[in-house]
Amino acid sequence: MADPAAQTSAQPRLHPARPGLSQQQWSSQKKAQVRAFPRAKKLEKLGVFSSCKANDSCKCNGWKNPNPPTAARMELQQHAASLTEVCRSCGHSLAEHVSHLENVSEEEINRLLGMVVDVENLFMSVHKEEDTDTKQVYFYLFKLLRKCILQMGKPVVEGSLGSPPFEKPNIEQGVLNFVQYKFSHLASKERQTMYELSKMFLLCLNYWKLETPSQFRQRAQKEDAAAYKVDYTRWLCYCHVPQSNDSLPRYETCQVFGRSLLKSIFTITRRQLLEKFRVEKDKLPPEKRTLILTHFPKFLSMLEEEIYGENSPIWEADFTMPASEGTQLGHQTVLSPVAVSGSPLSKCTSGSALAGSGLDSTSSEPITGEKRKLPEALTLEDAKRIRVMGDIPMELVNEVMKTITDPAAMLGPETSLLSANAARDETARLEERRGIIEFHVIGNSLSQKSNKKILMWLVGLQNVFSHQLPRMPKEYITRLVFDPKHKTLALIKDGRVIGGVCFRMFPTQGFTEIVFCAVTSNEQVKGYGTHLMNHLKEYHIKHGILFFLTYADEYAIGYFKKQGFSKDIKVPKTRYLGYIKDYEGATLMECELNPRIPYTELSHIIKRQKEIIKKLIERKQNQIRKVYPGLTCFKEGVRQIPVESIPGIRETGWKPSAKEKSKELKDPDLLYNMLKNLLAQIKTHPDAWPFMEPVKKSEAPDYYEVIRFPIDLKTMTERLKNRYYVTKKLFIADLQRVITNCREYNPPDSEYCKCANTLEKFFYFKLKEAGLIEK
Amino acid sequence: MALVSADTKIAELLNELHQLIKQTQEERSRSEHNLLNIQKTHERMQTENKTSPYYRTKLRGLYTTAKADAEAECSILRRALDKIAEIKSLLEERRIAARMAGVYSDTDPPRKTMRRGVLMTLLQQSAMTLPLWIGKPGESPPPLCGAIPANSDYVAKQGDKVAARVKAVDGDEQWILAEVVSYNHSTNKYEVDDIDEEGKERHTLSRRRIIPLPQWKANPETDPEALFSKDQLVLALYPQTTCFYRALIHTPPHRPQDDYSVLFEDTSYADGYSPPLNVAQRYVVACKENKKK
Repeated sequence: MADPAAQTSAQPRLHPARPGLSQQQWSSQKKAQVRAFPRAKKLEKLGVFSSCKANDSCKCNGWKNPNPPTAARMELQQHAASLTEVCRSCGHSLAEHVSHLENVSEEEINRLLGMVVDVENLFMSVHKEEDTDTKQVYFYLFKLLRKCILQMGKPVVEGSLGSPPFEKPNIEQGVLNFVQYKFSHLASKERQTMYELSKMFLLCLNYWKLETPSQFRQRAQKEDAAAYKVDYTRWLCYCHVPQSNDSLPRYETCQVFGRSLLKSIFTITRRQLLEKFRVEKDKLPPEKRTLILTHFPKFLSMLEEEIYGENSPIWEADFTMPASEGTQLGHQTVLSPVAVSGSPLSKCTSGSALAGSGLDSTSSEPITGEKRKLPEALTLEDAKRIRVMGDIPMELVNEVMKTITDPAAMLGPETSLLSANAARDETARLEERRGIIEFHVIGNSLSQKSNKKILMWLVGLQNVFSHQLPRMPKEYITRLVFDPKHKTLALIKDGRVIGGVCFRMFPTQGFTEIVFCAVTSNEQVKGYGTHLMNHLKEYHIKHGILFFLTYADEYAIGYFKKQGFSKDIKVPKTRYLGYIKDYEGATLMECELNPRIPYTELSHIIKRQKEIIKKLIERKQNQIRKVYPGLTCFKEGVRQIPVESIPGIRETGWKPSAKEKSKELKDPDLLYNMLKNLLAQIKTHPDAWPFMEPVKKSEAPDYYEVIRFPIDLKTMTERLKNRYYVTKKLFIADLQRVITNCREYNPPDSEYCKCANTLEKFFYFKLKEAGLIEK
Repeated sequence: MALVSADTKIAELLNELHQLIKQTQEERSRSEHNLLNIQKTHERMQTENKTSPYYRTKLRGLYTTAKADAEAECSILRRALDKIAEIKSLLEERRIAARMAGVYSDTDPPRKTMRRGVLMTLLQQSAMTLPLWIGKPGESPPPLCGAIPANSDYVAKQGDKVAARVKAVDGDEQWILAEVVSYNHSTNKYEVDDIDEEGKERHTLSRRRIIPLPQWKANPETDPEALFSKDQLVLALYPQTTCFYRALIHTPPHRPQDDYSVLFEDTSYADGYSPPLNVAQRYVVACKENKKK
């Protein structure tokens, strides 16, 4: 190899696997060592990577030691080559190679030396790596760093890779959303457990060594493989290599990648992770063992559904958490990586050429301060969100939660008697939890032999349907229940079928037809029908179908109405005509599902919410208790008075509801013109100049790392043109963000902030003037 | 005000009940000693293998004491049961009063009608808490205990649950679960309310259209004669409904808390009867007409 690095690379070769030292530790130790060299020695080292400046025609790009060090001479390395020694390749002296470093500060020299060490390491990696794709990337990075040393620049990975973050929301956000989405209804202790698991999962992912594209290709489809290769390259350049190579800017995998990478790696990573834990379970600290061995597999399965499910809300950019509990999570202290450090995971990365084990507390910190801004910004967002929810301090909500979950604080022991207001499906939910009833989706199959139990259940279903639906011909019921295209959600009690919903999914048409639905007569009025339908809804959300259609006969209409069906059909006729079975004299009904609703738990959640509100009202009543004389104006013939004029109502904290206050402009054009006018006025304001256009990266290099949601008046004008501002709320929010961004990035006494202050006053004045906000 | 005083009354009664239960335990530990003595005497007699007059006298004395102890314990238990009955009747009175006044005892805002599922749970609970009749030795079960019908001159009280034969809108006759509102002695007619509030109908019916429901459960272990026997034709409340239908007894209960297992007449099944379903003693009454409709 005719490369100058070839000879320097002799050095690391003499330190074969240093036991106990990670690649990263080794590399930083090496850097410290090199930086402690005398200047002459440093220059020699840099000279190797510096072009010859003797004359313009010399193409030599690195000084080559005329006396290549041999193993025996290694000990004498401290001996610097003299500046007069000539290059083996071009014949010019070392001095002529390092002339550009003469007036360079020690700091810069050290920075360059760091790169030299990294280049040497990369050279080794290129050498050792067997995977072609990986080798290529290492080689590219090697060349990149070399060029940087040569030009004394900073390494920037170029090309078609794009720059991080590569997808939004990132994996971290998605997983945190998942925890809030799935577990926010749990008691705080269990919720904490899930939160710990999510943190652990993210941490593992950040230090996980991804499989190479060629490995991936063996188990995936072609088009996926191409995308994976891009992601893999990004991961090498931005996440993996920088872990031990600090000349390159480093990013955390979970912060720069999103759902698509997770989709490609989840299945295999999950398997490897669980296997790892299984093998090393004895090395786990006992308090973590149950957490990992019992909860983690379940956690991962649930997460899997959200990763591969088509309609999972956790990946939506505007995922909002169920306010109270969600935020609580966000504020919890981030777990220390202790959860996984030590034995089990540090091995995940061992065996790789470059990756450090990197789980000790120092290295797992994100390297730069700027990155930590992300999570902080997030919690800030959450905090804002909750304030919008109605000014209830978190402590208060927690306190109330405690009283309603602690049975001792409630009135008396819980009776077995359900209150008259108990939710319709309360009993059924309890019975399911106790294992008295079970729900199964079953169906007949022609391709594989059905198991006997399932066939028995299908017969049971056919019996229940034909008894409960006497008007349906029995043969017809039998045909559909046993049709392989139809499925049935069966309700089982004591091993026997007592009810079910037969349905047919039309994934291409985006709806499901409910065909039969019945509960055996002596088990009716126990909430089973409601619970059945809720299970069916959750099943469909999981399978990405969000519409139910059914022809309901006169007796069924009431039931379907209670289950959220309506006679209003939103699915276009063309989509179901010819698909759904049409019954004469029956009414077509539809139910649209919301993938964010955990249907089987919904009534329970609402009950809890009601309890919280009731408690909050009680508290308020204790604080302000005052009896006013009743209103007399109605006796005097007054028909109506404004609510706010009722004595005492304002003291309770009542405010005119947003709906009434806004009386949102019905006419979109009217709003459009109003906002257009307003924006024009703001743009002509003398203090608007800093906000006219997007901030240029050349002027404020780190601006986009600090400010997550940049906005400016030009962008707003474009948004307005594109009819983005369908409500004034959106418009005002953007306007306000212009100001808050400015205040966040700039010191308060800066010129910019002064402009922001004036402009803010101005536009609020204008908003009021236009009647868009009150007072 | 009446409601408040009923509350304090109930609190008092609960207090007394509590005392009685404690006394029962005292009685029990007292008689324990004597019972042990009896056992020991028997053992000694067995080893000596003869019944001397001494033992005979001794045993007679011991047994007399034991009997007295048992009776004392029994009477306390009966008093406790009476207290429970009293509390229940007070609650019932209060419920009726509230009903009349249209006030709901619950602090929750009144709903127009109770959800059916809740009504069904209440009916099941009322069946479960129906008191078990415990007679004195030799005493036979009274009317309205288990299968024993009411006397011919019996008049059901206000608030009592009955099976009532009403004419439905479509002209069909149907036995429904109803609650007595009043009885007019001059016309010999009852006023009853359909228990199902969704129906919310008041019916005026002659005596023969009313069958009072049992007020005690019969104990299969001590009073099996007070139960319907296998294959007997009865009217039974169909599970999860408020209607009585003709049914055959499949198996009578074996223990006090057991239900009857009955076969309802049902033409939708090949053999004309439903599979066996459970119905509590509270909701099984004799079927007067033997001819099929």
